Amino acid sequence: MSKLSFRARALDAAKPLPIYRGKDMPDLNDCVSINRAVPQMPTGMEKEEESEHHLQRAISAQQVFREKKESMVIPVPEAESNVNYYNRLYKGEFKQPKQFIHIQPFNLDNEQPDYDMDSEDETLLNRLNRKMEIKPLQFEIMIDRLEKASSNQLVTLQEAKLLLNEDDYLIKAVYDYWVRKRKNCRGPSLIPQIKQEKRDGSTNNDPYVAFRRRTEKMQTRKNRKNDEASYEKMLKLRREFSRAITILEMIKRREKTKRELLHLTLEVVEKRYHLGDYGGEILNEVKINRSEKELYATPATLHNGNHHKAQECKTKHPHHLSLKEEASDVVRQKKKYPKKPKAEALITSQQPTPETLPVINKSDIKQYDFHSSDEDEFPQVLSPVSEPEEENDPDGPCAFRRRAGCQYYAPRLDQANHTCENSELADLDKLRYRHCLTTLTVPRRCIGFARRRIGRGGRVIMDRISTEHDPVLKQIDPEMLNSFSSSSQTIDFSSNFSRTNASSKHCENRLSLSEILSNIRSCRLQCFQPRLLNLQDSDSEECTSRKPGQTVNNKRVSAASLALLNTSKNGISGGITEEQFQTHQQQLVQMQRQQLAQLQQKQQSQHSSQQTHPKAQGSSTSDCMSKTLDSASAHFAASAVVSAPVPSRSEVAKEQNTGHNNINGVVQPSGTSKTLYSTNMALSSSPGISAVQLVRTVGHTTTNHLIPALCTSSPQTLPMNNSCLTNAVHLNNVSVVSPVNVHINTRTSAPSPTALKLATVAASMDRVPKVTPSSAISSIARENHEPERLGLNGIAETTVAMEVT
Amino acid sequence: MAEVVSPVPGAGRREPGEVGRARGPPVADPGAALSPQGEIIEGCRLPVLRRNQDNEDEWPLAEILSVKDISGRKLFYVHYIDFNKRLDEWVTHERLDLKKIQFPKKEAKTPTKNGLPGSRPGSPEREVKRKVEVVSPATPVPSETAPASVFPQNGAARRAMAAQPGRKRKSNCLGTDEDSQDSSDGIPSAPRMTGSLVSDRSHDDIVTRMKNIECIELGRHRLKPWYFSPYPQELTTLPVLYLCEFCLKYGRSLKCLQRHLTKCDLRHPPGNEIYRKGTISFFEIDGRKNKSYSQNLCLLAKCFLDHKTLYYDTDPFLFYVMTEYDCKGFHIVGYFSKEKESTEDYNVACILTLPPYQRRGYGKLLIEFSYELSKVEGKTGTPEKPLSDLGLLSYRSYWSQTILEILMGLKSESGERPQITINEISEITSIKKEDVISTLQYLNLINYYKGQYILTLSEDIVDGHERAMLKRLLRIDSKCLHFTPKDWSKRGKW
Repeated sequence: MSKLSFRARALDAAKPLPIYRGKDMPDLNDCVSINRAVPQMPTGMEKEEESEHHLQRAISAQQVFREKKESMVIPVPEAESNVNYYNRLYKGEFKQPKQFIHIQPFNLDNEQPDYDMDSEDETLLNRLNRKMEIKPLQFEIMIDRLEKASSNQLVTLQEAKLLLNEDDYLIKAVYDYWVRKRKNCRGPSLIPQIKQEKRDGSTNNDPYVAFRRRTEKMQTRKNRKNDEASYEKMLKLRREFSRAITILEMIKRREKTKRELLHLTLEVVEKRYHLGDYGGEILNEVKINRSEKELYATPATLHNGNHHKAQECKTKHPHHLSLKEEASDVVRQKKKYPKKPKAEALITSQQPTPETLPVINKSDIKQYDFHSSDEDEFPQVLSPVSEPEEENDPDGPCAFRRRAGCQYYAPRLDQANHTCENSELADLDKLRYRHCLTTLTVPRRCIGFARRRIGRGGRVIMDRISTEHDPVLKQIDPEMLNSFSSSSQTIDFSSNFSRTNASSKHCENRLSLSEILSNIRSCRLQCFQPRLLNLQDSDSEECTSRKPGQTVNNKRVSAASLALLNTSKNGISGGITEEQFQTHQQQLVQMQRQQLAQLQQKQQSQHSSQQTHPKAQGSSTSDCMSKTLDSASAHFAASAVVSAPVPSRSEVAKEQNTGHNNINGVVQPSGTSKTLYSTNMALSSSPGISAVQLVRTVGHTTTNHLIPALCTSSPQTLPMNNSCLTNAVHLNNVSVVSPVNVHINTRTSAPSPTALKLATVAASMDRVPKVTPSSAISSIARENHEPERLGLNGIAETTVAMEVT
Repeated sequence: MAEVVSPVPGAGRREPGEVGRARGPPVADPGAALSPQGEIIEGCRLPVLRRNQDNEDEWPLAEILSVKDISGRKLFYVHYIDFNKRLDEWVTHERLDLKKIQFPKKEAKTPTKNGLPGSRPGSPEREVKRKVEVVSPATPVPSETAPASVFPQNGAARRAMAAQPGRKRKSNCLGTDEDSQDSSDGIPSAPRMTGSLVSDRSHDDIVTRMKNIECIELGRHRLKPWYFSPYPQELTTLPVLYLCEFCLKYGRSLKCLQRHLTKCDLRHPPGNEIYRKGTISFFEIDGRKNKSYSQNLCLLAKCFLDHKTLYYDTDPFLFYVMTEYDCKGFHIVGYFSKEKESTEDYNVACILTLPPYQRRGYGKLLIEFSYELSKVEGKTGTPEKPLSDLGLLSYRSYWSQTILEILMGLKSESGERPQITINEISEITSIKKEDVISTLQYLNLINYYKGQYILTLSEDIVDGHERAMLKRLLRIDSKCLHFTPKDWSKRGKW
């Protein structure tokens, strides 16, 4: 009996419900009306879908029949299970292991390429396989790398070559194919990928974008106010840890470098032993030339160039000793310099005005310090190598992407501080950072403040700037500078830091000529001056007779001073002609030859200094460089290492003419460059720099290129005279490991010694030289000199761009 | 008796369809058939020939969602009114009954709040229509000429939809207005970050409304997707998308798959096996640790799950993949995903038996397994909502059988009538209390008698249950489960 007025109690989930079955069941008529008392539970479905025809039919059927009826199920699109090639596709069998399968997380990512070849690729592969062997997997790896290195824009062929460790021809073929395929491809990548979200929110409604990141604010507990503070602390901690890492890494590098130095020293000794250079004559020959290029060159060359020469003779033996001493000194690092046998040198270096004294000392110490523990003078804090790019950098083609293995320097702030440090010199200082007091050789005058930069095609352009000091500066006679230029060699790069009040006293708002000169002299003001041409006694006649041509041509290989000279001759925009270049090449070789001849005379005393070589072969040095460069930068790197000493020797030959020993014509090269890196780089021979840099960027992948490059270059740098070949090779060896290069090594790191060793190996092996036609000096060849020239011009630049790998 | 009292709201079979037709545009008067355009355009409704399960031809009313032109032959994407979207398909001109065509009305655009009765979620309705008509005078042929141009056109349509404020599909049921509040301003915002299903489909558009993959080859199976899935767009034009059976990576061609198989040595889902009985195994995969598999799985699952969202990453989910072993390896049969931490007692996010394995008891096995996990965790759980039609049927069936099993297993003690509380049922089964109640209601077991609620097990319920249980051979054996739940809340963020 149903009573509609009756209201049932709510259903209590905790109350026991008696169960009635079968015949015990009460008459359900008594119960019917109750249903509404129990709240209707939602089905959990979308309302519209709930009413769908097939569902309702199925529900009804179930309620009627209490089980599913075949015809009443919800229809779905069909699925087939009859892929007949299945067994061919999934080959092999898999035995069920007894144990439950447990997967190691690190097993998951194997290094297989994501790209899967299609039949179109197979056609290409079949075609390529006629010429060379290429496996599908190899092809897939190549495409995979190309794809992953490309974002919106494709990688270039050059990048591809670096990316793929394959034969050049193969790379070209695959690259071209890939570019074509990629252009025809409808998707953004040949590897189909799920569309990624863009952070600007433009893809919020794109139905093809999936798996967006869940961006949530950092959750701080509400009632903990110090969360932010502790977050800051954590940040600070992190920064400090990363600094510690940096320091440790630098220590590691320093130690490595030291070991490298030791090895090289050993090598030098060994080589000398093989050469029978017991008296150190050969070493000295090389070392003299080398040391002149150093900033920290033997401090003995102060004040008096003539004195230098005499000293060279005297210190022949000590020199040799000092080299050993250097090595041992490295071990007990930071030992006081005065203990060295070169005490004489030290004394001379202490003679300049008292204010510069500490500066010089410091630089002396620095020489053996390998810029390791001097963090304070090395303000470039390395940014953490792989800082996760969690920050909200907006996407887009211009977005900054960190390159793997590349360290980025934090911005430098120190320059600004220095300008404020001294108000009186402030305006000069300001100029100095970009502009430098500059002197021309022809016409011989000081042009005031100027800045050198490289224009198109390697033209050297001088930007002059007018200052209130101009009238005074004009009066500066280059000779005045010359008279003390040798003293400038020992400039400490940190002179900017250590400028004292005493020094600033002389500086009036408008400086007088003498003041400027004294500033220059005391290294407070840098002066850029072309190198004076020195000629060795024996060659003097010849060289002077050719002087105009030489000076012009020498520019190519030598330092900025000559470049400057060129500017003055050809006008600001004037470049060097091909002809000039060619003659220069020839002369270079001549110089080489002369140089060599001298050495040979010393050793064998039967060689005439004038050997008749075909001019064609004469142009070898640079030519071979450019040739090899053309194929790969790695070749250049290697050849530069080998051939670097040769041009420098020829330069030195000229330099000795006047008896002065300027360093690449840069009187005070370190004025603006406060980092050790740049200083060192500027001082060491520039081809060496570029070589080292290239080697390092190229890395291990190119070592196979290095050897051929060395093979071709080393014999070519030498006269094609069989009788002197071995000798020359030895010379090359010695020069390669000469101090300057040692310094390059120590300042840079691992790969360059490798390159040097390779050079040694290559040089000591008898190889058939690759014949380089002389006619190959072309505009292309010149362009290939670009990196080299950049290296040269980098001498006076404030910084030398470096990638620390 | 039972069929008369249907506890399901709106259970009258043809009622929604009838309502839809009644409120829709008036049925084909001759003038309307010769509309100014004389073209079949999106939004038109007309009977479309379709073969039903009994292999009979029928002409259900359908709506044209899209038109494309493949080598001069027009194809129409139709949605059968009151049928699930999964039956939507491309049909040729011959299958359309043009005599009964209803053109979408321009002015009769009802305010969206009044609902667009009978229309499917996200179908391109009058707004889109209008847009198309604005364009059509300038372009004599309004329909698309190439399959490629489907994208831009749909893009335009989608933007039109997105710009339309307050677009909401509403049921013809009264009440429950609350779900329209979250997005009644119509500004599409990022969906909530928990869960895996969307119920608010206001962002739905014509692109996601239509299937985009024609066919998927997976192992020995060829599957016809039911719904849209965001596989890379360039793959949507392929006749067949080839998937690696084990890692589920997608490829353009059979050759690609062949090549892939030389590199892929997986023969089982890349996770830990936590259950094995006979040939059936379950693998647990962490959505954070194995992203690529999880994503591939989600993409595949989306083809068969309408409400699944792939908006966010898979990090907060665990995936339990059920496999069947044979000599080739562990073949995926189905899976369910589960939030590592659920605030709403969900023990399942998405659940799917792949079509070739459907209607063979695997779905129930998956469900059973999900409750076994909850039992180990000592929690009750419920599947995330909304349920699909198949999901509802499966869960109801599982719940019914599980509860009936318990009820029928109760023996009377000392002559007393056996009794049980809802909480007890819930504890034993890990089925959430609400689901227990709804099942009892649905089975019509719960009655009010003599001042108290009772459970009545009628003969046909008992018989039906016994028959069903005879067919249910696949069961989870809790002894074969090796599973220790992790406390994800202690692990930071997932």
